Amino acid sequence: MRREWPQFSLTAGTSPMSVMWFGPLIGMERSFTLSVQYGLPFGGRSDLFRFIPLVRVLSPSLVLNFDAEQEAPLPHVYFEGPDYRLSPLCLFDPAAGQWNASMSIARTTIPWAARWLACYELWEATGRWHGGGRHQPAGETKDAA
Amino acid sequence: MTEHFLIKTDTASPKGGPNQIIPNWSVAERLLAAVAVKIELPPTQHALMCQRKATIEAHLESDGSPLKGHIRLFYQQGSVAIGATVKAKLRDEGFDIDIIVELLHRGSLTPAQVLDLLFQAMRGEPGSRYYDCTVRQSRCVTVHYADGMHLDLSPSLLLDERDPRRSIIFHSKTEEPRWKDTTILTNSYGFVAHYNRLCPVDQTFSDKYGRMVRDADLQLRDMMKDADSVPVPAHSSEIGGKSAATVGLQLIKRNRNIRWHKRNRRMPASVMLSCLALEVAQPGRTIAQNLVAISSHILTRLVSAKNAGLLIHVENPCCPGDVFTDRWPETHHDQDLFISDMRLLLAQLEQFLDERRSFKERARTLEEMFGETVARQVIDSFAAETGETVKSGNHLLGATGTIFAAPTSVAAKQPVRQNTFFGSKWPGN
Repeated sequence: MRREWPQFSLTAGTSPMSVMWFGPLIGMERSFTLSVQYGLPFGGRSDLFRFIPLVRVLSPSLVLNFDAEQEAPLPHVYFEGPDYRLSPLCLFDPAAGQWNASMSIARTTIPWAARWLACYELWEATGRWHGGGRHQPAGETKDAA
Repeated sequence: MTEHFLIKTDTASPKGGPNQIIPNWSVAERLLAAVAVKIELPPTQHALMCQRKATIEAHLESDGSPLKGHIRLFYQQGSVAIGATVKAKLRDEGFDIDIIVELLHRGSLTPAQVLDLLFQAMRGEPGSRYYDCTVRQSRCVTVHYADGMHLDLSPSLLLDERDPRRSIIFHSKTEEPRWKDTTILTNSYGFVAHYNRLCPVDQTFSDKYGRMVRDADLQLRDMMKDADSVPVPAHSSEIGGKSAATVGLQLIKRNRNIRWHKRNRRMPASVMLSCLALEVAQPGRTIAQNLVAISSHILTRLVSAKNAGLLIHVENPCCPGDVFTDRWPETHHDQDLFISDMRLLLAQLEQFLDERRSFKERARTLEEMFGETVARQVIDSFAAETGETVKSGNHLLGATGTIFAAPTSVAAKQPVRQNTFFGSKWPGN
């Protein structure tokens, strides 16, 4: 991460065996500040961030749009309350095997987050999601990741 | 598992749309260029205009025409001759094309009689193809076509053969007394040559913009392929390639058309704007930089006139006495309106060019500047093409993450694996 994205700073996570990165990232031209949370397996805990890196947009805040033509009120996130604007981004399809723990976060998660931000900005302007993707089928929990 | 890596490209696909992703251009620049392509005369329409002009020439010089043997030359003037034509009004209502019909002599005809003669010659007898679509104006005769194109034919007379194209045109409002009729000195031909000689053409810009014009034109030709009279332009790239200053000028004209659409007043003349644009034209500027530079200069000239208690005065640099501001502004109120327009445009440009603002805000500002319909089409097209880029993985990444990083950037990131966005359903459903 330091070599690929030196603007991201690393801190210890709030849970054991986990870390957080904070840094700016641009999708098209506007800079957003993100957090990236990731942890190693620990004591049988099933936190999502121990399975996949969790990226959240801290600022400027994501804007929920319940009137959007597609993907209302926020596109391609794992909805997480109470503040849904901080929901983690869904950057890859777990069933497609696009990411595993042997892969570099700097070369997958962060670039995918840049793509997501670009598509989010377009969605915010048009109400339509142009980045493709799929949704969790009914009954499948996010723990499946 | 198949891995998909990006493919570096630095040329636009000929199948692409008008927003085709072009390296090195900012988002604002891409959107401005796409708006300009949408509102300008495309090569196919240019070829159609040339065909119509040739047909009119033949019509006016045919046996039985009262002007047979009395016409020296037909030539394009105004916007079309400098490549700055924009759609006539707010929506897709076609283009105004200005043609000079240079007469060999006027005999003893008054201005009204010259205009009436051209009107009769153009209109022909009842049943003629032009009979019901020809209108006599105060300085020209307009031929309206069903697709919205208008050809304005202005009769003129050469004053001095040693000073080519220094001419007079004729002014006669049918509803006014004849003593008000007059002739007006003009050398539009000279101004066009002057503009085209001085307006800087950046070859890189010209090539990129030309590609966008050709791509858009291919789509237009696909749409029009069943029409009877659509000619194929021989060299559309030559028509498309041009100066970023002229593109900036076209966008200012578009903004003017929108602002003045509902005012029911004569609007600032295109030729005045062209002349003011040329006063500050410099090579190497982007469209956005030209827009800001030209708008600022227009504002400065207007405010300077206002502060002196005058109306702005702009003259043809090739023909002293050929006043480009002879019909606008008529009043200080007109001038004040345009001052407000330029201030608003500059404020909107500042917002639009601010990369810290959301794309949504910038898109809305684009609509306010250049019209909702055109801007919305441009935004939708840009969004769709950017989405395809994301889905294909066919892009680089900049040092700070932008998906529009230029291939030439030393900080461009390595290829990135393809991904499929996922997600949960809104729990409220």
